Amino acid sequence: MNELPGIDRVRGRFLEMLEQRQSAIAGHALAAWDGQTLEDINENLASAQAVLHQISGSAGSLGWADLGKAARECEMEIIAHLEGPDADLAICPGELIYHLDVFVTNCREVIAAQRTPVEAE
Amino acid sequence: MRILAVDDDPIILELLCQFIEAVGDHNLSTAPSAIDALEFLESNPDDVFDCFLFDIQMPGMDGIDLTRKLRETSRFADTPVLMLTAMAEKRYIDNAFAAGATDYVTKPFEVAELKARLNTVEGLLEARQTRTKKIFATQSLAEDVNTVEIYEPISIYDVENVIDYLAMENYVAQLSKQSLFGSTTFAFTIRQIDAFHAGLSAFEFYSLIQDVAEIISDTLVGRQYLMSYAGSGTFVCITESGWRPDMQQLMDAINLSLARTELYNNAGQRLQPRVSAGGAIRLVWKTGNSVMEALAAAHASAEEACVAFEKSQSNYFELGQTA
Repeated sequence: MNELPGIDRVRGRFLEMLEQRQSAIAGHALAAWDGQTLEDINENLASAQAVLHQISGSAGSLGWADLGKAARECEMEIIAHLEGPDADLAICPGELIYHLDVFVTNCREVIAAQRTPVEAE
Repeated sequence: MRILAVDDDPIILELLCQFIEAVGDHNLSTAPSAIDALEFLESNPDDVFDCFLFDIQMPGMDGIDLTRKLRETSRFADTPVLMLTAMAEKRYIDNAFAAGATDYVTKPFEVAELKARLNTVEGLLEARQTRTKKIFATQSLAEDVNTVEIYEPISIYDVENVIDYLAMENYVAQLSKQSLFGSTTFAFTIRQIDAFHAGLSAFEFYSLIQDVAEIISDTLVGRQYLMSYAGSGTFVCITESGWRPDMQQLMDAINLSLARTELYNNAGQRLQPRVSAGGAIRLVWKTGNSVMEALAAAHASAEEACVAFEKSQSNYFELGQTA
């Protein structure tokens, strides 16, 4: 997609949204981890999955293929849990939360790397 | 082409805008949800769209339900729909094709891929314009219905799991090796299709094809399959569920159902179509073109069975004779 004339503007908008999206994923992951009921856990995981789905759909087209792939892997992990044998138990897998944490860190690194040195200071 | 893209991700919509601008020759409208798209289409009844790009997974109504809803209308019954999906999982793709999707593009998409898909859609539209053979099942016998060529893969509407032949080809092309493991293709051909074609009007012929499609679909109910009318009286089916169809038994069940169904032409004469079944061809170990060839082989096998049946009927008195 690099050859598209307005791609830089879309990339800029993606980064703006990534700020909000990584924050939303972190919020849902924490809420799922702290959740006491099945609904709390599964609804927050599903919300995190919806945000990951959006990142995985566009990151690769904008030059962040690794980020898109990581989003997809986290998304698939959540789907596997929500459709798996533990889906009706109030369990939030620690490994899943760890992977979401790593993903959120990746997002922050991508955002930081795209900032100009002046902005980063 | 006039295109409507529906996606809940504003980044994808912006990307598509950039893409369409770069490609030129197209006009893009966008909607952030299926409900917005439906409202937009309803409030602009004179707008003509040549192609839809729908995200599969959207909150509220998803792209599959949106496709299904549009297919129920005569306005968009055969407008090409390309599904956009980040989830290249079979369950979504199967449902999308069954709902009436023409093809799909996996996100993240590339310029060349999108361009190629849109070119295919343009080619399809041009072919349709030259043929102008679209006939609606709900349409009364209109004077402006054109002739239907016998070989033409007519579009069939509102029959469960029946999709366009182009969509069938696209569907088969995307089957993964894993999916091919349990997949089988098979076909049925209406006997004496030449005689039906010669003796019926275009609309009567279309209605006959539609009725036979419905009966085959009813016979296969409960099975996971997709079916397409390939022209010349032949219906090609594909199943992925690991089911190994007994073709003789299926053919008998379809013909029994056809015998019990009263079909008439416009003059009130009863039509008594029957089908012949070809062999069931497993798709395991096949790749690329050989999958398409298997589809063609299933088609040919049903036509051969048809010819063999007709020959056996004409040689009735020679049965049992030996040299």
